[in-house]
Amino acid sequence: MESIIEVRNLTKVFKSRGRKITAVSDVSFDINKGEIFSMIGPNGAGKSTIFAMMTTLIKPTSGSIKVAGFDAENEDDRIRPVIGIVPQKLSLYPDLTARENLELMGNLYDVPKKVMEERIEYYLKLVNLETHANRFTGGFSGGMKQRLSVISAVIHDPQIIFWDEPTTGLDPQTRQAIWKLARKFNTEGKTLIFTTHYMDEADKLCDRVAVMNAGKLMALDTPENLKKTSNSASLEDVFIHLTGEEIRD
Amino acid sequence: MDVKTELRKSWIIMIKEFKQILRKKAFMIPLFLFPIVMIIFFGYGMGGTVKNVDILVINDDTGTASSSLVQEIGSFIPKYGDVKMFSIIYTKDMGQSEAERKIDAGLYKAVLIIPQDYSERMARNESVTLTLLTDSSDTTSSGIIINFMKQLFAGTSNSLVSLNIPDIYGKLQYIDFLTPAIIALTVFIGTIQTMGYAIAGERQDGTLVRIMMTPVSRGAVILGKTLHQLILQLARAMVLIIGAIVILGVKMNGSWLLVALVLIIFTFGAVGLGIAISAVSEDMISFQAISMLVAFPSMFATGVFYPLSSVPDWMRWIAYIVPLTYANDAMRTIMVKGQGLAFIANDLIILLFFAVFYFGLGVYLFRREA
Ligand SMILES: Nc1ncnc2c1ncn2[C@@H]1O[C@H](COP(=O)(O)OP(=O)(O)OP(=O)(O)O)[C@@H](O)[C@H]1O
Ligand SMILES: [Mg+2]
Repeated sequence: MESIIEVRNLTKVFKSRGRKITAVSDVSFDINKGEIFSMIGPNGAGKSTIFAMMTTLIKPTSGSIKVAGFDAENEDDRIRPVIGIVPQKLSLYPDLTARENLELMGNLYDVPKKVMEERIEYYLKLVNLETHANRFTGGFSGGMKQRLSVISAVIHDPQIIFWDEPTTGLDPQTRQAIWKLARKFNTEGKTLIFTTHYMDEADKLCDRVAVMNAGKLMALDTPENLKKTSNSASLEDVFIHLTGEEIRD
Repeated sequence: MDVKTELRKSWIIMIKEFKQILRKKAFMIPLFLFPIVMIIFFGYGMGGTVKNVDILVINDDTGTASSSLVQEIGSFIPKYGDVKMFSIIYTKDMGQSEAERKIDAGLYKAVLIIPQDYSERMARNESVTLTLLTDSSDTTSSGIIINFMKQLFAGTSNSLVSLNIPDIYGKLQYIDFLTPAIIALTVFIGTIQTMGYAIAGERQDGTLVRIMMTPVSRGAVILGKTLHQLILQLARAMVLIIGAIVILGVKMNGSWLLVALVLIIFTFGAVGLGIAISAVSEDMISFQAISMLVAFPSMFATGVFYPLSSVPDWMRWIAYIVPLTYANDAMRTIMVKGQGLAFIANDLIILLFFAVFYFGLGVYLFRREA
């Protein structure tokens, strides 16, 4: 297996109001090219923080990350063009239309105008937003916003896609639609990395699951193997088994 | 990334900013209306212009020197168009306390008392003291009257009768004094506010982070937002100045280019300050609170509404460390006095210093957060 992301001894410590929070603690793993990889773990486990480091948004306190062969710390300008990101926090410009949001992304990623317009039409149709293309996204429903976020992350045709909780708070129809897209992108050869709190999604969709807890990587394997090793019937049981029952702050 | 790419990305960001701001009608309208309202309300409401103010002259002297002085006073009253600034009423045999009561009653804004021995002393080349009582509750009028009288006596003490009252004091209207500073003030507050929306606001709704994830440097993001601000504020200032000239008859005696130069340097500093404030505030509410804290002292300590010479010493010290003070001075020097680069060089150097400092600080703080 050829790995497209290599994470080595990754640690991130936040200093906030005099307190030190170790969000990620000595984590190492690889993500294979072309796989669907998911990261699960309780609130505050450090999933989004790892995403932020993999996507070059923040720098590690220690350790290293390689994405598509480039060092995340020093070659972020080589990494950014080949990755597409749907952040956990929705981030569309409410006072721009759907099309303008997409065009802004296309422009920032240097997609040639003609190619960009073709892709915009194609993707808008793909997620059933073509009739809303010229509406301000401020008035969109949660599902419409998320569909738009997902396609605005692929306007530049990235090899690797990061989705941080793409389905949280969405209705079953929208979730289905989003996972259909995930499979579609995957069959096009893209590597997909996502986080979720829905165990069935991780179970059904992905090739491998990383289970995070309190900044540490507790386990990483295929859903089947995870279930087997911890003798659990479902991924949810694996999750509870590995991360405990107490509720996180 | 090379310079060309940086500039192209900045351009993309700038265009986006313009699209957004032009759609915020509820934001755009006050942006232009607010300063106009300020100029009208303060310019006319604060009674900056004095017209037909009654001054009582008590002349207890019967000599020739005093009667010629009285004549001079009468003939050198400045006018606005056809209206005289002062109307002088003459009387005699009135004591100081009675004169004070007349002022209390609002009958006169000022009383000038010519002593009995005025002519006698003048003839003997001796010094003589005239008493000028003014209604100091009306600061504007009393200030103008005192100035007028000072000018008048500065002329006569030279024994030659010629009197010279320079335009700069005589014909200046309060609104002429006010407008350049209001322009600078609105550019300052406007820049900080829109910068706040552009950074603290975008951080709050997550869009700033989204932009940072794309292949665009922080420098390009800042540059794009700064270019947008420069163009917006410059256009706004020009519209306001033209509006003030056309609608309110405000004077513009100097060079537009110099005005633009001052405003560009000044806006740079304000942009930096706005970025710095955004960087230290967690959300829009804290941004608003901090920017208010910056805006208010600037508004009242820097001589926007009254001359710096009239504020208490401690306030003047605040004024010296606030860039708006120098922008006000430069704007007035250009627009009212019609002076050139040499006269605003000091202001420009200080503004440049502030611009470099605040912009550097803003960029530093913006880059640091991650
Ligand atoms: N910018 C920051 N400053 C300080 N602490 C932070 C920051 N970002 C994250 N943290 C802390 O780091 C820890 C991990 O947060 P992170 O967002 O990575 O968790 P997560 O696994 O994504 O959780 P969730 O499932 O709720 O999204 C948390 O304790 C969080 O409070
Ligand atoms: Mg998260």
